[in-house]
Amino acid sequence: MTPRGPSLYGRLAGVITVVLAIGALVLGWAAWLYARVAADEAYDRLLVGAALQIAESVATEPGRVTVDPPISAFETLALATDDRIFYRVTDPAGDSLTGQDDLASARKQDRPGREPVLADGTYRGFPVRIVTLGRYVTGPGVDGWVEVTLAQTRLARLDLARDLTLKSLLLVLGMSVLALVALLLAVRVALRPLQAVQAAIAARDPKDLQPVEIEAPREVAMLVDSINHFLGRLAERVGGMERFIADAAHQIRTPLTALAAQVDLLSTESRADRRRQQTARVRERIEQLGRLTSQLLSHAMVIHRREVVQLGPVDLVPVAQAALKEAVPLSLDRDIRVVFEPAEPSLVIRGDRVSIGEVIANAVHNAIRHGAPGLLALRLSRDGEEAVVEIVDDGPGIPPADWEEVVKPFVRGDSEAAGSGLGLTIVADVVLAHGGRLTFRQDASGHFVVSLRFPLLSPAEDAKALTEDAA
Amino acid sequence: MRAVLTLLAACLLAAPIRAQDAVTTFPAPGTERQVLTLDTATDLSAFEPLIRDFQRIAPDVTIRYREFVTNALFQQARGECYAERAGADLVITSSVDHLVVLSNAGCALAHRSPETLAAPGWTRWRDEVFGFTFEPAVIVYNRALLKPEEVPRTRLDLIELMREQPARFAGRIGGYDIARSGIGYLFAAFDARNALIYGRLIEGFGRTRLLTRCCSSDLIEELGKGELFIGYNILGSYAYSAQKAGAPIGIVIPHDYVLALSRGVMIPARTRQPDLAKRFLDYLLSQRGQRVVQQEAFFFGLNGSVPEGVEAPPGGLTSGMLRPIVIGPGLLPTQDRAKRERFLREWQNALQGAEPRGLQ
Repeated sequence: MTPRGPSLYGRLAGVITVVLAIGALVLGWAAWLYARVAADEAYDRLLVGAALQIAESVATEPGRVTVDPPISAFETLALATDDRIFYRVTDPAGDSLTGQDDLASARKQDRPGREPVLADGTYRGFPVRIVTLGRYVTGPGVDGWVEVTLAQTRLARLDLARDLTLKSLLLVLGMSVLALVALLLAVRVALRPLQAVQAAIAARDPKDLQPVEIEAPREVAMLVDSINHFLGRLAERVGGMERFIADAAHQIRTPLTALAAQVDLLSTESRADRRRQQTARVRERIEQLGRLTSQLLSHAMVIHRREVVQLGPVDLVPVAQAALKEAVPLSLDRDIRVVFEPAEPSLVIRGDRVSIGEVIANAVHNAIRHGAPGLLALRLSRDGEEAVVEIVDDGPGIPPADWEEVVKPFVRGDSEAAGSGLGLTIVADVVLAHGGRLTFRQDASGHFVVSLRFPLLSPAEDAKALTEDAA
Repeated sequence: MRAVLTLLAACLLAAPIRAQDAVTTFPAPGTERQVLTLDTATDLSAFEPLIRDFQRIAPDVTIRYREFVTNALFQQARGECYAERAGADLVITSSVDHLVVLSNAGCALAHRSPETLAAPGWTRWRDEVFGFTFEPAVIVYNRALLKPEEVPRTRLDLIELMREQPARFAGRIGGYDIARSGIGYLFAAFDARNALIYGRLIEGFGRTRLLTRCCSSDLIEELGKGELFIGYNILGSYAYSAQKAGAPIGIVIPHDYVLALSRGVMIPARTRQPDLAKRFLDYLLSQRGQRVVQQEAFFFGLNGSVPEGVEAPPGGLTSGMLRPIVIGPGLLPTQDRAKRERFLREWQNALQGAEPRGLQ
């Protein structure tokens, strides 16, 4: 069971809800600010209108100014039903003509003028909106600005602002809920392909390693691709294992059967010389079986490493030298000249040191076992962008007709010779896995040459790889 | 009572700033626990049934009833408010413009209850000022002195009458002294909105030397005695009360348009007993209180019902001719001092020749 994180759906829902809630709050606050401005604008118009009506009622009589605040002005203001109204009209000398004597003008410093000035303030403890405007009067003995100051409490403004805010908040909330529902639905729909993938994989036969074929949106297709890639590699490995097991079973069964037959013969043989002969055969078979087993194991190891081991820079020269040393037994049943000829001081490729050592050893081993009556040479050289490892022997070699066959499992160039066909198969496998190739030829002096060609690391890659290695 | 009132008014004339109040106390029928002080500009005779009825449901309340003329009451209430001094628990007056001014200045306590919310919209403002009566301004005449066909049913009738027989009606037509009577001023100010009729009216009043009085009761008494033929813009409730009591007067609700007032009540912000005051206010507006208002105290109902013996317009009072004095900020300009000064001056100019005889 994989550890369960919080549900993707839940997490998305949470994030969306939080974002929408914050959005609603911000919008609500903005709506409140805006509504206050709007309410002020609306009621300011009434206020200014009423003040103008009062200013219109200003008249002059000889030596004095009169004012007759019209009822209509107050009825205009009474549209804000519950609001208190305060006002004051002053003559050019600044004395009150009527209204509340202690009501302050909205005008701060600037000179009196016709333009209405609006301000917020308090009167008798009530928060009020104040407008002040002037009217210039001239007449006998009178000359100057009459100022009308009109104030109204803010109840209706607040009510309107609250009302506007509430309505826009309702809208915002409605939209948020809609958006939330829509987004959650969308998320659910978007996540559906994942469920489809899950269902498809769950419904699968455990043995079925075919790629999952589901039509999925781009985002999920990447996941499906990864799964398919993984399935592909798994199938490859399982296939390799199955092949290997079949190979191994077959390879081991045949000599075992032969061995059993020979042991049978041995047990019934009474003649001593024949018996010795039989015993030698049995020993030979057992040796053969041992070789086969170790080859199978090395093949298994190579296959395993190919899947598992990270490739690194490998210098072929020391690896080849070591492999040669290991592969050539201290005592040979015949006199073979073994030569190591590195043409370069170092040949660095990207690869798995162990596998490469193994295959060189394998190839050398093969050469000793199948031919090489007098010469075995291991040559290393550079050919353009390739490092070339050549195993040369003076034996009969493999007939060109079999060159293609010989690298397939179970096929030996010489069906009679003792040993296993696995040797060159492993070599071919590993070389291919390193991006190289395996070739055969007869050289000018008639020697048989097996060439392992690996792509060289470019000098830049070389340096980089080496520093990486050092690190 | 009247003696006290006239004395009070006389004092007012002499020293109009500080009013001496005529106090009547209605002791609690049961054990007294609370005392409620009402400052009113309302005839006690009209208001008494309400007090008695209230004491039936609140027997532990003693009620002090202080009576003022409207303007004096206004000054008293405003003085208490501005000095932040506790005084009356309720202020009751027919000059609702005074209450609107007081409420506007923050002198009133808000009260919201099922009873206040049930009152018609035009009778309340800010949950602070409430009207609890319906009182039309009526034309009152002496039945013995005016032939039925002469009875003015519209203002134009009255204007015609004054134009045709100035000598007969000289000094025989009475009205409020609008400088002292708040309700008279209010009615006149609303009449003045009909500029044409109003101009001809006061021109006629000037020609016939209108007699002005401070109070409804004086006018009604003189009408009953035959000293006055016709009274204009008299509070219908008081007139009907007198008629009911046997005064030989007739009452006409004008057929052209009807000014109607709802007597106002307000709880001063500094009351010592807000709960009791609210209780009394709720009582006034309750169905029980309204029944007393209509049947025993002020006779006209807020529903527009007209009592027997009052000549109403043929279509009744609900028709479009009704001009209620809406309680609200629209009443503020009537108390504007420049406007008031100018209005009074014009009134006095128009009535030149009509010598106010003062109070008796």
